[in-house]
Amino acid sequence: MRKKKIASMMVLLLLAVALGSLWAQPKTTLTVLWFNDANESDVFMATMADYQQDHPNVTIDMQVIPFKDYENKLRLMIAGGNPPDVARLASAHVPLFANSLEPLSGKPVFDELAKGYFASSLALGQDDNGRVMVMPTEATANGMIVNKTYFKNAGIDVDKLSQTWTWDQWVDAMKKVLKANPKAKYGITVDFSTHRFSTFLYEAGGRFLSSDGKSMNFNTPETLDALKFFKMLHDEALAPKSVWMGSENPQELFQSGLVACHVGGSWLINAYSRNIKDFEWGVVRMPSRKINSSVPGGKFVGTFKNSPNKKEALDLIAVFSDKAHNEQYCRDTFNLSARKDANITYASRSKDFAVFTEDLNLTPAYTADDWKSDVVAKLNSYAREQIVEGLLGKQTMEQTAANIQAKGNSYFK
Amino acid sequence: MKSRQRSHGTFEQTRAPLLFLAPNLIIFSLFIILPAIMGLRMSFFDWSILDGSKYIGFKNFRDILADSMFWLTLKNTLIYVVAVVPLLSISALALALPLAGEGKGMGVFRAIYYVPTMLSMIIVGIAWRWLLGYDLGIINYAIRLAGGKAVSWLTDGTMANISLIFVTVWTRVGYFMMMFIGGLQAIPKTYYEAAEMDGAGRFTRLRRITIPLLKPIILVVVVLSTIEAFKAYELIFVMTQGGPGTSTKFLVQYIYQAAFEEDRMGYGAAMSVILLVIIGIFTAIQFGARREEYTNE
Repeated sequence: MRKKKIASMMVLLLLAVALGSLWAQPKTTLTVLWFNDANESDVFMATMADYQQDHPNVTIDMQVIPFKDYENKLRLMIAGGNPPDVARLASAHVPLFANSLEPLSGKPVFDELAKGYFASSLALGQDDNGRVMVMPTEATANGMIVNKTYFKNAGIDVDKLSQTWTWDQWVDAMKKVLKANPKAKYGITVDFSTHRFSTFLYEAGGRFLSSDGKSMNFNTPETLDALKFFKMLHDEALAPKSVWMGSENPQELFQSGLVACHVGGSWLINAYSRNIKDFEWGVVRMPSRKINSSVPGGKFVGTFKNSPNKKEALDLIAVFSDKAHNEQYCRDTFNLSARKDANITYASRSKDFAVFTEDLNLTPAYTADDWKSDVVAKLNSYAREQIVEGLLGKQTMEQTAANIQAKGNSYFK
Repeated sequence: MKSRQRSHGTFEQTRAPLLFLAPNLIIFSLFIILPAIMGLRMSFFDWSILDGSKYIGFKNFRDILADSMFWLTLKNTLIYVVAVVPLLSISALALALPLAGEGKGMGVFRAIYYVPTMLSMIIVGIAWRWLLGYDLGIINYAIRLAGGKAVSWLTDGTMANISLIFVTVWTRVGYFMMMFIGGLQAIPKTYYEAAEMDGAGRFTRLRRITIPLLKPIILVVVVLSTIEAFKAYELIFVMTQGGPGTSTKFLVQYIYQAAFEEDRMGYGAAMSVILLVIIGIFTAIQFGARREEYTNE
């Protein structure tokens, strides 16, 4: 009798466990592939804490990969048929992975969300057919950060001057700044990247691609003007050779006070806020040449056609892209928002963010067309090498422009 | 009629050695032979990781022969190999000669020279980049403090090549030194004693006894360092990224750039096949020279 009782209890227990597991929601682990400029992966997890509370069946597996290895890792994951559920992408990644990304256009929730974003930011996340493939998480812009203490020592009100200054006026001002500040060895440092150089290209009126995006339009008088101006900066020792012709970090040069101005990205505000304590610094408008321009950029999140948990991934991206989550993420990562309706009060430096946004507003739309092209993405390293060959005097800047034009056109064949 | 006698060895003599070899053979086949065959096949295709592939015969190879960047990076690589291999071999032997003895403190010195070998090339590259930087580098800081003029260690093409060669020798010399020490310790002391009794000086003993008896080790060192130098990538990429411009851009970096940055996997694979052939030729020449010496002896 007792044995029977125990047996029936066991059967009931097993039944309860079986039914419980049937009723319980299946657990989903979302793989999120990420790279960090600063603390973005931590902020992403903190921003999505409420999402995780609301979705206890979803676990986020955050995989942070160094940026230099990121593109390859993602390529190999996609090629191996095992893409992540969600991936953070830079604007240069979008054209490379456009064929593998799950389109967001045509899905009502994303069509509605897209209305709240700047067109230039969305453009960088579109494929050749104009479909939104990824949602912007933050906007970036290239701009000029200056050592205000050095300008003050030279008796220059840089905030006032920079409202309307040209590059010629910048050169004049810099001669005074270098004279008044013996510690400053150079006037300007520019990140060792084709993207940052392109700020000079666009300001001179040049561009990489033709207006229909089907061929190169690099070998032009405007490009030559930008290249020759860039060479002059190095030849006249206004820019250090150790960045473009060596491997030194421009950020460290600016932080150490060796350089008075840094042409870099808006993400530098975050790093400089933490690291610079011994001089006053700030963001100023880029000097103009033919036009005023920045270079739009940004970071995005997307999911892939073959992602194992696409439905949950789309849900997560939609929540992350709404106003509240986007504002929280941009505020805590110290980034510009790509949302038109964002109203962010940063812990500090709100004025500097506003200057980047002003420069971005003046930027022509075709700059986004260049940087969403896979041809420009593939051309990156080659263009950088060729510019340095010109800076070294191993070839003329005319030859540099012709070589880059020819290489770029070879990708269209 | 005499029937042919088949000899049946024991299990230990026949199958056991094969079983011991099997794990290594499987791993070697899976991770070396198979990828090599796939790479060879890929070199005949216009192959993109994301956009698929198309058979194009020998087009990749024809394009490579007309590619000025290929010839430039091959030239840079050959200069590096020709400089690194003799310098590395001679330095390793020069360090091994005094450190092969059993004297006090020898172990400490051997360890000191061997330590850089154990460091990752990435770490070595970053450390030397900090040391050799033009504006923020420690060495130039010291030179300026002493009243001198900063040196363009990495910002001038020739100096960047010299710096890379120096750092390569610094980081690899300990490894080859240990190989030479092993070879030196295997030479019977009686040879030296007999030579000394005959009045042979230190240089004569080196020339007549040490070098001839070390020839097999020298061959291994030269072959291994040649292969290493042809394949050099991480150290160069971290220290100079191939620059300034293309001054230190070597073939392996160009292969990586073509395959992964430009998504031309087939083209990259074809260049890898050519690199394999070049390394094979160099190795065959070295082994051939050694065989000829044996025949003459």
